[in-house]
Amino acid sequence: MSGTRLDFATTQPTEFVDITGRIRDEVRSSGLRSGRVHLQSLHTTLGLAVNENEPLLLRDFEGLLERLAPVGAGYEHDDFSRRFEIALDEPVNGHAHCRQLLLTAFATLLVEDGELVLGRWQSVFAVELDGPRQRQLAVQLDGQFSSAHQRTMPESLVELELTRQLAVDPDPVAAPMRRLVEAGGKRLRPKLVQLTAAIGPRHDPLRAAELAAAVELLHNATLIHDDYVDESTHRRGRPTVAAAEGPERAIAVGDYYFAKATRLIAQMGNPGVTSAVAEALEAICASQIDDVALRGAYPGDRDSYLRVVRGKTASLFAAACASGAMLSDATPDVIGALRRYGELLGTAFQMADDMVDFSPRSGKPVGLDIRQRVLSLPLIYAAEDREVGAEVRHLLAGALGDAQVGRVAELVTSSGALPRVRAEATELVDAAVRELEAVELDGLRPVLVGLARSAVDRDS
Amino acid sequence: MTVQLLEPELDRLQGLWSDGLSDAYRAYLESVGRFAAEVRPRLALAAALIEVGVRLQGLGGHAAPATTLLMGDLCLARGSRLLADHAPLAVQVAFARAIESVSSAAASEQPAPATRLLLQQSLGAMS
Repeated sequence: MSGTRLDFATTQPTEFVDITGRIRDEVRSSGLRSGRVHLQSLHTTLGLAVNENEPLLLRDFEGLLERLAPVGAGYEHDDFSRRFEIALDEPVNGHAHCRQLLLTAFATLLVEDGELVLGRWQSVFAVELDGPRQRQLAVQLDGQFSSAHQRTMPESLVELELTRQLAVDPDPVAAPMRRLVEAGGKRLRPKLVQLTAAIGPRHDPLRAAELAAAVELLHNATLIHDDYVDESTHRRGRPTVAAAEGPERAIAVGDYYFAKATRLIAQMGNPGVTSAVAEALEAICASQIDDVALRGAYPGDRDSYLRVVRGKTASLFAAACASGAMLSDATPDVIGALRRYGELLGTAFQMADDMVDFSPRSGKPVGLDIRQRVLSLPLIYAAEDREVGAEVRHLLAGALGDAQVGRVAELVTSSGALPRVRAEATELVDAAVRELEAVELDGLRPVLVGLARSAVDRDS
Repeated sequence: MTVQLLEPELDRLQGLWSDGLSDAYRAYLESVGRFAAEVRPRLALAAALIEVGVRLQGLGGHAAPATTLLMGDLCLARGSRLLADHAPLAVQVAFARAIESVSSAAASEQPAPATRLLLQQSLGAMS
């Protein structure tokens, strides 16, 4: 069995958030071949539903909920004078709780042949009844997992190792990191370490999990500093360390886990692994400087974008792949092929991430990257577009309020930028997959190919 | 001679050389005598980068502005990579523990041990 959390933000008081794509991604990356996905809402005003994603029908559902449990219809729950221990920000939401009673808080979906079993018109919705809010769903997958996953993807080992490492750290650093770790995340880098560590003759799942956990801690340490630099208030649906505990704490926590992860990796006693990860970390930091510098010429150009992304994202993907393979004593040609696979995949992954910013189904507010002036390939292409480019550039040159961000997002969506980025990301994944063709991967090629495809073909 | 040798390692960080990095480097040169001659400058520079890095970040004090923090991060990362490439395992581990100790103290709002002293001790770590 494996489990995770799905985080998303809603933007409307009542909203049907289509989470079908995200659940599909979870199924694919888990390697579940046959079994069940269990979903559970972790909120009393968030329901679940399986129905058709047709906008007029969704308005019908909204109307039905309004007729059955209208807003402000005299709910006793809203009479604060009769309740105890009321929070300062307690909402008036009796209607939302009553509506949730009409839906369900949990659902089980079937999986066959590695795919979610859904009828042609069926989509899975998280139904916001008291938005906008940050929301979270618990997800568990059980059943029969592919043999390659069984052999290489004991994700629970990585989670256990993360828990073990955090348990021995001082609370002022461990608590913020634990919140970030427990908030979920795709765990792609540790997955890559675990997969590639199964390729060579010295496969040791425990050592692979140790390395994978250290790489995840290192990644999270960079995110904690990034969030301060980008002035981000939320990550994975929760307040960032900088927002919750101040920049001083964020810097200290990032440094602590940078050092600890580096130490854990060094103590594994494989100099090649230590150097590979250290080089990646240096590339990440150098690219962060470039990234911030480029915001002066926002949105920048494709070459600058690629230079930054190779350092900021692809370098750790490449190091994860190469270091896992080195740990298992894979041959130099296999290590080289996996390093190139990781670099191409990391670049494609970042492009897919850029596209998610324009997807209303992502669970995140559309246009967050625009608002934070984060380097984004769709935006670069839209700014170059003959029809919408001038307006995009004009808007980006000024202050970016809600209206401007919304308009830029509209222009990007209406231009050919998103299909162009998708095609480019797909080409990179194809190139990554080709890197795997000439080397012996002990039966793991299909898993690596599947992971690469699902990293790009996603809505979140 | 050694500064020329180290030139590539100062990429993007040249401005720091006259802003405390060279002084720190010279101080650490005195602590690397037990290592082979060709790695001494790199280990001294690694220690100096880490000392300057945490100072730039404002670790244990007021948080640095974003761009300064990023310079500090790069110093730490480069110092760490120099250690990975040139230092014995015991020294790498000692350096990491030194940063853990300073950052943990900062997170706890406790007085941190002197960074230079910790790093000089780390250079003496034996397996």
